[in-house]
Order: sequence, then C-alpha cells, then structure tokens
Amino acid sequence: MRYVKWSLLALLVLFVLAFLHYTLPDRDIVRVTSTETRRIDFGENSMFWAAPDVGTSANPTRDVRFINAVKPNGRVIVYRNEDTGWGWPPYFKLDSSNLQAEADDIKSTPETPKWVVMTHYGWRNEFLTIYPNAVAVRPAEGPEERLIPWLNMVILAVLAALAVWLWLMLAQLHERVIEPALIRFADWRAGLRNRFWPR
Amino acid sequence: MLALGKLAVFLFLALTVVYLSVSAYSRSVRREKLEDEWDADPKGDAAARDAFIEAGMRDYDRGLRRRLIWLVYIVPALLILALIYFTNYS
Repeated sequence: MRYVKWSLLALLVLFVLAFLHYTLPDRDIVRVTSTETRRIDFGENSMFWAAPDVGTSANPTRDVRFINAVKPNGRVIVYRNEDTGWGWPPYFKLDSSNLQAEADDIKSTPETPKWVVMTHYGWRNEFLTIYPNAVAVRPAEGPEERLIPWLNMVILAVLAALAVWLWLMLAQLHERVIEPALIRFADWRAGLRNRFWPR
Repeated sequence: MLALGKLAVFLFLALTVVYLSVSAYSRSVRREKLEDEWDADPKGDAAARDAFIEAGMRDYDRGLRRRLIWLVYIVPALLILALIYFTNYS
C-alpha cells in the first residue's frame, strides 16, 4: 500500500512538472531558415495543437504556419505558429500572421547567420508529430547570449505562494468548520444513544 | 468574439468561487483573531465576549481589508490586458 501511495504521488508530481514545462514560456537562440504553411489533419495529437486564428471557424482540418530553424549546435527545430486566442494556454496570442511576417523578415543563411531569440511554449516530439508554438521573436546579441528566465521565476514563485495560501485556507476550513461539525455530530449521536439505549 | 465571451463567462464564474472562498476565509481569520484577543484578556461574561466579537466583525465589514478582496476580479482582468499587450503589440 505504501508503494502504491508513493507511486501515485510521484506520478502526480511528474504530471505537474511536465504540465508546467509544457505550458511556461521558454526561449531558444536559433537561426530562422524558412517559413511555410501546411495543412494539418489533427488526430491523436489534437490536444497538442492550439486554436485556429481568432475569428475564423474551427474545422477538423486547417492550415498551420510553421517556422523552420537551426540551433547554434547545428540541430534543427521546427516551430508551429498558431494563435492561442482566448483558450489554453493563456498567452492570448492573436498575431500569428504578424509573427510569421517577422520570422520571414529575419531569415538568414549559414554563411551570414542572423541569430534570434525565439520565445515559445510546448514540445517538439517526432513520435506524436507535435511542435512548440512560437510566441515572439527578436534579434539576439549572438549565438552565446545568456537568457535568464526571470518571468518563469516570478510565475513559479506566484504559483507557490498561491499553493501555500490554498493550504492555509483549507487548514482554516478544517479547524473552524469541519472539526466543530464533527464534534457536534458525535455529540448528537451520543445524545441519541443515551436516549434510546441508556446504560 | 464568441470565444472571448465564453472565456469571460467561465472566468467570472471561477473568480466568483475564489471571491466567495477568500471572503469566507478572511472573515474566519478575523473572527478567530477577535476571539483570541478577548480570551487573552477577558473583560466580562460570554455575552460581553459575543458583543466584542460582533463589534469587531462590524468594523471588519466596513474596513478596507474586505474591499481589497475585489482584487480577486481586478488583478486577473488587468493581467489579461497586460498579456494581450505584451504578446501582440511589443
């Protein structure tokens, strides 16, 4: 039983960490090589895709913008460029078309590389055919620019504070509402017993 | 725009749950503090204790602290506006 409990707890922690890792913004230094638009038929992987452009209708299949890029170590990475609109995750990204134009504008060749900082969330996974969603792009100082995730530190600190607060609220509820109710219930049962089965 | 309406409705419902929980919590904490304050230095019988606590709760109902709970609605709304600006216009 102890093993089951700890395994479930470990799974829960793993799930929360994976969820945060998927959802929180991350930044890569890359060189944009090309952009394209492909039709995607969403299948088993549909939960890893965001939303159609805000204002357009949702169909089982649609065109998705992609940004192809190369990392300084030579490995390639492909981003999708989709609106998140008013849904999850709450990036409120409405400007996919503009981002595509910016990415087009900053394309470069291996001979004259222009390094950029690509802000994105999500994962690239070949087994599910899923792509990180690009959120913003800006020129980098160079392939070695050091990126410190201040925003993520703030978000995680706020989440931790909210978790502690929730714990305090539940502790207060337990102390002031649930325990007194349990005591009253026990008293009521004792009263009934004394009335019908007096000793 | 329909999607925005859906977000607004569900966010409002969720934040209302948060608002009600936070207000219940805040009242409960305030009442506990008043009880502790009286019990540390009792100045009368049980009726005087109840009167002291009720007076303290009336002060709380008029106070700033209770109004600050409206931030539960205001902060997420401002956060969303800021996010829309920073994601799309900067």
